[in-house]
Amino acid sequence: MHHVVLERWSRGGSFLHARDPRVKILAALAILVAIATTPPQTAAPFAAYAILLIGASAASGLPVSGVLARAAVVLPFSATFAAISWVSGDPERAAALVLKSYLSATAALVLIGTTPMPKLLLGLEKLGAPRMIVLVALFLYRYLFIVSEQAQHMLQAAAARGGLFGKARPLRFRAAGGAVAVLFGHSYQRAVGIHRAMLSRGFEGRLMPASALALTVTDALFLGGALVLAFASRLSAGAGL
Amino acid sequence: MHIPDGFLSTPVWLTLNAVGAPAVGLLARRAQRESGDIKAPLLGVMGAFVFAAQMINFPVGMGTSGHLVGSALLAYTVGPAAAAVVMTAILALQALVFQDGGILALGANVFNMAIVGVMAAYLPYRQFGRGRMRTFAIFLGGLLSVLTAACLALSELLLSGVRMPGPVVTVSLGLILVCAVAEGAITVAVIRAIERVNAGWIRGPEAMGKPALGFIATAALLLVTLGGLVASSSPDTLESFAEQVGIADQARSLFETPFADYQARFFEADWLAQAAAGLAGLALIFGLGLGLGKLLRNRRAAGRPANAAGGD
Repeated sequence: MHHVVLERWSRGGSFLHARDPRVKILAALAILVAIATTPPQTAAPFAAYAILLIGASAASGLPVSGVLARAAVVLPFSATFAAISWVSGDPERAAALVLKSYLSATAALVLIGTTPMPKLLLGLEKLGAPRMIVLVALFLYRYLFIVSEQAQHMLQAAAARGGLFGKARPLRFRAAGGAVAVLFGHSYQRAVGIHRAMLSRGFEGRLMPASALALTVTDALFLGGALVLAFASRLSAGAGL
Repeated sequence: MHIPDGFLSTPVWLTLNAVGAPAVGLLARRAQRESGDIKAPLLGVMGAFVFAAQMINFPVGMGTSGHLVGSALLAYTVGPAAAAVVMTAILALQALVFQDGGILALGANVFNMAIVGVMAAYLPYRQFGRGRMRTFAIFLGGLLSVLTAACLALSELLLSGVRMPGPVVTVSLGLILVCAVAEGAITVAVIRAIERVNAGWIRGPEAMGKPALGFIATAALLLVTLGGLVASSSPDTLESFAEQVGIADQARSLFETPFADYQARFFEADWLAQAAAGLAGLALIFGLGLGLGKLLRNRRAAGRPANAAGGD
């Protein structure tokens, strides 16, 4: 499954994996902003971003083809809008839509592929994201695949009983509503149980990470380097503007 | 509709992040006040439920199927502020883990779906959630949550200068409407089924206002959203008009000054004006939303002792 791959990627031991999540988030934001603000009629900056991102994923031991293939999930959406732009006489924007969305997705994947989710969320909290949302996201990520698997089991069981096929539409609609309701009930009871277990273990509404984040000189140097590279790539449009 | 990165122009994503971040902060504090920090594990699992529920297909008709979007269902089960928090967490994880929606565009997606979408879902339920109109209120809430979010996303794309000819916008609106009706029907089916399992899982509306106010508030939200869409798509026609004028100018400049960059400058100015007008519209929607929220809160605060007295 998708998450297993990302989990495996993010537990590596490369230079990028070892950086503080905060500087990685800021570096990713820098390159995302650079990509977003690049004028569409230039080619050099986009090539520079691609080299940077592919270089970063190769250097941190991520499978480059895997990253590029995973980022392609944005393509159906952008290709649709690109086609519309193309037909209405704006081929430059069409190309920019595809390139920008694809490169941005790659940048997000390099970030998530080198940072385990708990660390990433902790970094976001330290950077000022509301604690409530960080906590909800953390538990959401923790239980996402468990509840999804339960939904899959239910669908399989229903299929085995012939439950969702060949019936009249209103009946199937009601059956699907019932399935969601059962899933809701299971999730709710699971949620209450987890909540009680957390309370009995002394949960007070904040995370106690096993190891606190600490910025090192290397982290600062990495962030400086990333900012310079992102900025330089953005300016490589140069005379081409 | 999750907007990926690279689609929104810089002023649009910058503004929506600037608007969305404090709004989400406010909602998070409100959810914290209402349910307490310690409820976070519960809300997280409910968010996981919404993710998983999207795997269950509902036959919509004509061989296609839809799935639950869930902002309305969340608003009716965990309350509106907590629903907005859960939706924000869902959107953030979708952007990070599944590349579904952009990271810079997160502000826009949160604004559309977690803030306005949840508000649009809760407004009718709040006003008509008890009594004979209840089923209709739930249906309307589901419908409005998808309709407003998708219309806002479409206007933001248009504002960013993504070209969409008139027919494309019309067809998109038609599809959005079909999806919105489907979400309404799905939400009703799921709420009914949940109530058969355990009615206690559905929260009653916080307070009932005057029906007239509910009508006005709901209609205002719908009108402003649709108005925003019309306003952001009409600069498109303006632009095509300008293009014609520009071409006319170019034709004239062929005789007078070849390579005059008049047209380029003209377009730049036009783009700025377009973005400014659209952002002003979005700011208006947001202001209206905040105002409505405040109004409803004040009414509730004022109405509570009266209700209690009436109950005695």
